[in-house]
Amino acid sequence: MKQDPTQASASQADASYPLAMIDGNPIPDDPSHKAYVTALFNRHRTSLQRYLMRLVPPDDAAELVQESYYRLLRHGGMVRIDAMARSFLFQTATNLARDHYRRRASHRTALHVPIEDEEIIEDHRGPDEQLAGEQTRALLERAIADLPPDTRTVFILHRFRDLTYPQIAEIMSLSGRTVARKMAEAIARLSAAMSEAT
Amino acid sequence: MSTNAGDLQAAEWFAKVREADMDSASEQFWLKWIEDGAHQQAYENCELAWELSADLRDSPALGAALARADALIAGQRAAPVPAARSRWRVPVWQVGLAAAVIAVGAFSWFFASRATPLNYSTAVGEQRTVALPDGSTVFLNTNSEVRVLLAAHLRRIELVRGEALFNVAHDPDRPFAVHALQGVTTAVGTQFDIEVMPTGAAVSVLEGTVTVGANGAVTAAAPVAVSAGSGVGYTQEGTVSEVRPAELNRIRGWRTQRIVFNDMPLATALAEYNRYRQAPIVLSDPALGSRHINGVFHIGDETAFLGALEQGLHLKATRRDTQTVLQPEAGYEP
Repeated sequence: MKQDPTQASASQADASYPLAMIDGNPIPDDPSHKAYVTALFNRHRTSLQRYLMRLVPPDDAAELVQESYYRLLRHGGMVRIDAMARSFLFQTATNLARDHYRRRASHRTALHVPIEDEEIIEDHRGPDEQLAGEQTRALLERAIADLPPDTRTVFILHRFRDLTYPQIAEIMSLSGRTVARKMAEAIARLSAAMSEAT
Repeated sequence: MSTNAGDLQAAEWFAKVREADMDSASEQFWLKWIEDGAHQQAYENCELAWELSADLRDSPALGAALARADALIAGQRAAPVPAARSRWRVPVWQVGLAAAVIAVGAFSWFFASRATPLNYSTAVGEQRTVALPDGSTVFLNTNSEVRVLLAAHLRRIELVRGEALFNVAHDPDRPFAVHALQGVTTAVGTQFDIEVMPTGAAVSVLEGTVTVGANGAVTAAAPVAVSAGSGVGYTQEGTVSEVRPAELNRIRGWRTQRIVFNDMPLATALAEYNRYRQAPIVLSDPALGSRHINGVFHIGDETAFLGALEQGLHLKATRRDTQTVLQPEAGYEP
């Protein structure tokens, strides 16, 4: 699935939100940045594509892979630690997938799709077009609720309150190692829920 | 729901990366590890779980657990120092009794000191001024929501949607951090405005200095310092733009229920105006959107606004229940 790069960025810069010009950041003129992003992208591309195909239809996944690449190119000053850069790449791709669903939702409203058709397109997703379908959400919710209390608190403080591990260690009177171990435990339980979901 | 050893290893790597504590030696190990196809897929599960869990931030099912976490943040200063291991030998039943007494004490302390996050919101077209207990003031623009958590060592504000102007009471011990999308704007005492839009957020500083950066350590570009008169934008992921002039006129405008258009394309002006309306004003032909308009209008005085468009741009407004349509007057089609 070859995607014309210029097409991809042009569709991004559509005029529906004219007040937000920030996404028009020019691609930084820094050959080492471009080389780094390209190498990173090539290393994780297959994985990213497979990941996106669990979120959006295959054709859209190919497009979002490409768009993620351009987003990273426009993002100056990345930390050049591959593992951390990969997190950023996947986070970016997930946000693009989220936008993709929102766009699809507003598009559909605009077109006044009749109710019969709506039901066919709708599949299991709720009316607010969250990226995760109802079942996946429920599985994740259950997995979080079922975590041991301290593990759950560590996860919530990091995921939903953006506290760093040292901050969590301080307020819970735990060691940094314990916080990292509890985070790993939480992630393991949640990812098990994900393999159940898809 | 069981986890096998491979999945646990993936989760351990994932948690380590989130810690942002990787040197080049562990990076080399990671690179070797992730080459393996099975490892990669296990890691993708972790990434998927992590990213999708973002949608559960407001999950009612997790409400009690979230409240406990917030109480823990809020209780930092008052929290009793963790007891050192007892040096005294006492009969077990006495320890039990003492523990019971402490438990009751801790329990009532927990409820007394518990800081529930405060929520403030406005409806479309509404504006509101909120005085916070720390002396700061939040001015909420139309269709906006903030969640405020004032704790011992931090003041955490979440701009859930819309726009707010913050007048921050000076307190160097408690940075005032406004989270919006994946970005954080931090101040100790200053005045600044943040607007959340579908594709990103815009920060304008009116007084003092703030820092703006991505949330968490993963993207790890250094936060950008922005001082009075300047602003930045950032994307959903918290990628911060170059420093640019602050949107001072627009912000002073909304604070006084005025909306300011300075040689602005009609499409942009309508997008701004529609933030204050339940029923949007739309164009019959998108080509009309490139015409420019100037003027200062009172928010809510729609008659004056539509009148100006009708006279100045030769448009005709047709009001319907769900929207008002602007179309060219006969003879003035684009």
